[in-house]
Amino acid sequence: MLLVIAYSREARQSLRNVCRSHDESVIRRFGRVALFEATEFGAFQALRLREKHGEAIQLEQTVPFNEFESVRPDVREAVAAYEDRETPFLPYEQFQTGSDLPSPTEMKERDLPSG
Amino acid sequence: MDVDPRAVAAAVRRTDSASDERIAVDCPEPSPLHDAVGCIRPEMGLRTRTALARAGRTRGLETPYDEELRETRRELDAIAVETEPLESHRERVTEAEAAVEQARIRAAEARGRVRERSESGLDPAPAESELDDALQTLSEAETDAIAARQAYERDRRRQRERRDRRERRFRLEERVANLERQARSHLVDRLRDEFRGVLSRVPGATVTDEPAEPFEVDSVTAALAVAHLGDISAPVVVGIDRFGSAVAASAWLEAPVLYI
Repeated sequence: MLLVIAYSREARQSLRNVCRSHDESVIRRFGRVALFEATEFGAFQALRLREKHGEAIQLEQTVPFNEFESVRPDVREAVAAYEDRETPFLPYEQFQTGSDLPSPTEMKERDLPSG
Repeated sequence: MDVDPRAVAAAVRRTDSASDERIAVDCPEPSPLHDAVGCIRPEMGLRTRTALARAGRTRGLETPYDEELRETRRELDAIAVETEPLESHRERVTEAEAAVEQARIRAAEARGRVRERSESGLDPAPAESELDDALQTLSEAETDAIAARQAYERDRRRQRERRDRRERRFRLEERVANLERQARSHLVDRLRDEFRGVLSRVPGATVTDEPAEPFEVDSVTAALAVAHLGDISAPVVVGIDRFGSAVAASAWLEAPVLYI
């Protein structure tokens, strides 16, 4: 999908207008953020906004997130273990201390494979 | 002389567009109120509430939102948004990486030809020099692509910083707009009764008594009422026939008048 973010009041107004008149190409709109369908027409509308408002429009293309593809098993195991904890207010940092689970620092240092 | 009231008003406001070269007006700087009701003509439109609030400002009325409004505007002015466009290198990186792909294919083909010639017992030398060229091109394309990718990444980071600033600006703009709305409705509330009361006295008004919906009256009547309530120092262009004379118009508006 195409992620469109407006950074000015004028850009937000244009985004609203596009969303209103091209409902079928817009998957979702939240205030001044919208997701356009990844078609040439979605791109056409998104690029029109950037042509008009320059840097006040940010465009990104999103990809589906598959944790089995992008995240190593340790992280997924940490998620399951932490969600299953018995003390609800225990921060993850402490929860993982002394275990084999990855630390927040370690996870922060590892980028996900891009794409 | 046949003149368009709008051209006269443009001369009062010293706006370049729509001005008539035959007209020049030397007068005090028009206020925002003049922008709303400074040119009264039959087909005029009026955002009555906005104009009424501006009339209140000319009388020095203040609102509880003014201080925050001033402060927020100051903050907003302090955040500069870069107008200089940032070269994003999107096109350059795409082309440079496509060139690497091309060069890679050509090098592989050249390598294939060297092997073919050797296998069929021919002198590989001509194909070898072709391969050297292809490898040279590939290496240059790769260097170029790395530089392009780096430039692209660097500018993405700079874009992100610029967007943080834009985000702060946007929030301040929103706050200013909200405060302005609140201030306007505060002023309108304060002046509503006075405005309603004056409507039936407006020359030529078809309004009798105090209308229940004072903001629904025709634009000319509303503009005359608003102008009567506010202080206007730049001349008001009057292009309607509700007054017998410029003097009568000036007396009602309590302002200098250009009577057309």
